[in-house]
Amino acid sequence: MKKLFIVIFLFFGSQEIFSAGGAPCGDYGECDSFKPELENIESLQLGALTFINHCYGCHSLKYSRWGRVASDLDIPEEIFSNNLVFGKDVKLGDRMTGSMEPSVSETWFGIAPPDLTLVTRLHGSDWVYTYLRTFYEDSSKPYGVNNMVYPGAAMPNVLASLQGQQILACKDVPMIASNGGVRRDEFGNDITEEKCGYLKTIEDSGSLSVEEFDEVIFNLVNFMTYVGEPSRVDRERMGWYAILFFVVFTALSYLLFREYQKDYH
Amino acid sequence: MEEKTTTRRKVLIGMTSAVGAVGASFAAVPFIASWNPSAKAKAVGGPVKIDVSKMQIGQKIQVSWRKQPVFVIRHSKEALESLPQVESKLDDPSSLKIDEPYRDINPTLSTSTEYTVIAGVCTHLGCAPKYYPEMESQPWDESWVGGFFCPCHGSMFDIVGRVFKGVPAPTNLKVPPHYFDGNILTIGEERGTA
Amino acid sequence: MTQKSSGFFNWINTRLPIVNTYERHLSKHPVPKKVNFWYMFGALASVVLIIQIVSGIWLMFGYENTEEGAFASIEYIMRDIEYGWIIRYMHTTGASMFFAVVYLHMFRGLLYGSYHKPRELVWVFGMTIYLVMMAEGFLGYVLPYGQMSYWGAQVIISLFGAIPYIGESLEIWVRGDYYISGATISRFFALHVVALPLILIALVFMHLVALHEVGAGNPEGVDIEKHLDENGVPLDSVPFFPYKVLNALVAIGIFGIVFSIILFFFPEGGGYMLELANFEEANPLSTPEHIAPVWYYSPYYAMLRAVPDKLGGLVVMGAAIAILFVVPWLDRSKAASIRYKGVLSKIAMTVFILSWLMLAWLGTVPVTALRTTLSIIGTIIYFAFFLLMPIYTSIEKTKPVPERL
Repeated sequence: MKKLFIVIFLFFGSQEIFSAGGAPCGDYGECDSFKPELENIESLQLGALTFINHCYGCHSLKYSRWGRVASDLDIPEEIFSNNLVFGKDVKLGDRMTGSMEPSVSETWFGIAPPDLTLVTRLHGSDWVYTYLRTFYEDSSKPYGVNNMVYPGAAMPNVLASLQGQQILACKDVPMIASNGGVRRDEFGNDITEEKCGYLKTIEDSGSLSVEEFDEVIFNLVNFMTYVGEPSRVDRERMGWYAILFFVVFTALSYLLFREYQKDYH
Repeated sequence: MEEKTTTRRKVLIGMTSAVGAVGASFAAVPFIASWNPSAKAKAVGGPVKIDVSKMQIGQKIQVSWRKQPVFVIRHSKEALESLPQVESKLDDPSSLKIDEPYRDINPTLSTSTEYTVIAGVCTHLGCAPKYYPEMESQPWDESWVGGFFCPCHGSMFDIVGRVFKGVPAPTNLKVPPHYFDGNILTIGEERGTA
Repeated sequence: MTQKSSGFFNWINTRLPIVNTYERHLSKHPVPKKVNFWYMFGALASVVLIIQIVSGIWLMFGYENTEEGAFASIEYIMRDIEYGWIIRYMHTTGASMFFAVVYLHMFRGLLYGSYHKPRELVWVFGMTIYLVMMAEGFLGYVLPYGQMSYWGAQVIISLFGAIPYIGESLEIWVRGDYYISGATISRFFALHVVALPLILIALVFMHLVALHEVGAGNPEGVDIEKHLDENGVPLDSVPFFPYKVLNALVAIGIFGIVFSIILFFFPEGGGYMLELANFEEANPLSTPEHIAPVWYYSPYYAMLRAVPDKLGGLVVMGAAIAILFVVPWLDRSKAASIRYKGVLSKIAMTVFILSWLMLAWLGTVPVTALRTTLSIIGTIIYFAFFLLMPIYTSIEKTKPVPERL
């Protein structure tokens, strides 16, 4: 019996079984973690603004409605209609079907830019957050940029004016020994080696610093996470009440059960 | 001992049932609420705007709001002036029987001094009344003074939609929420609620 | 039988046996007085069945069974219908929980020998319910017409192609088209919402009638019918109402906590209950990188992949389900419950359940050479557990089963 467990443990413990396919964020490896702040209305509003200004020209949010976004994000309809909504004949109840004919965009980009309503649910917010920050210059590509998360992405870096030029650079990193630790020389100093494929932003080439740019992307992805499931805040809020109800119900019915159990125990 | 046990049981049964009933009513909320008009239906049923300046005097047009007919009539001065004359025949000339926010503003019963805006839905059983503006003898009324006649069950209303006595319809035709911006009439919302 | 019922009920009951049926199957139905939590999953399964029927009816109000409209109509339910999201998550969580409680219910059956004489038919009806549920779950999974709906259905329907001679035309016949199109969706929809639920309800009815005829089992495997009181009621039993109802209420309460945690906080179940690839509309021209079934099919999917032959894989998968039906005749043990069975049965059960869990996990991850080997081992253990059952249950020494509960 014990041997059996050891065998099973060995099987499940071995690295090879669990390592699956490629890394979630392509050449970038593990995605940067993204924790949405869906109750941070200001962040969502800024994200919506970024989306409308930089993404909505090509990408639709066709399952979402203008009016729902306005009311969920506490944007007064007047301000929303005048500053955010594309086109004057758009009504607040309309869906955000994009401003570009799919046939036109197909000739521009080779493929129609996908609808982004559910992209954060499809790939995960982590993925989108990492993807948007890992464009780098690559003159061999049609738009002069490539992406680490999604190599060969048929999309220009629309936020380059904010981010500035990002390139792939090399840097010295500690050498990793076969046992997983950092290799050291006889004086105890880390041995380093030059490795390439690191993203580097050229200073002052964009209008924002790296931190400011990350914040813009954070707000944008936060908004996109909201659009992916607009009822999520409600869902989690209501969840606590549901659980509380069932806890009370379980406790009471358990007391009742115990009470009646006396009849036959 | 026995007495105490039964009391305890009664209390526990009462509490469990009460909590269960509360839970069941909350669980019913989504199922009931989901039958309300969806965001899509609300979008399709949003306010409609029309330019009424092109209408002839005495003309009636039909506008669709929430897939329901809404009648817009441009009255002549004479027609409006003759309104008090039919009041003796009306059941509720001042629209007091219904909660009608527009009743005291103008004789047209709308926010305009010239146009009447009424829902083309008979308050009897929901048919669309037809408009017979001429003051002439009609099969259903020899002394017809002009107004709406409902072909389904014979209800009669005057030219601003007020119901006549002795017909099946209980109340005047409803006035939908609306406002005028110059010549632009918006049906479906009040001014400033946008 | 109907002592002291009021005039009205008496009048009804002499024409329609409501009171008799109520007393026989609910209020006075005798159930073993000592059971454990494993005996709660049957009641929970009927609760989930009701959840699925009600939430399913409500989903139909918003769902559109067309190729163009299906995917968008799911988002319409999720966004535009008031509380539509809660109803949809109720149905998706319910689907997973249905299988979860049924698997636990089935495992209880294996553990305590619930299929032993005279409960063979109860087991067979139960297995038929499980089979119909698998079909029902599959059909339902296709309806949102997302990428995983499409490619999952593509894989499963292609299995029909493994049948010699008629396979290929059968595939087209099932789809009603050359790909999984609106024609496929609308027939799957009709089957999912009308045909199979009707069969399912009928089977549940038979399962319960058969169970009430022979009486529920217990973890000791004691035959409580042997010792009756002067009214012919087993001494070791209590009436269903209120005792078992209260027992079930506690179980429903705990189940409600688990259900709420999933529904409100983890509706995607980490991608095992709602697969992430299904957040993209079906695209017949592009296969997702990794096709995995939802967790409740994964052990059988792992078996399918373990066999390097199209027809062979189908046969193995079918046999894995089919063999469950004959378990009552494979178990030769004198004791029903694992508590009184011999050490061989205990080892077999442990190895079986571990390998089943391993297969369940293997079915959800991409294939590697090592994993295929593991799948093969798991499949062999799965079949060995059942095929060797007549041997190890008859040669091992069982402990004497007590007379009373």
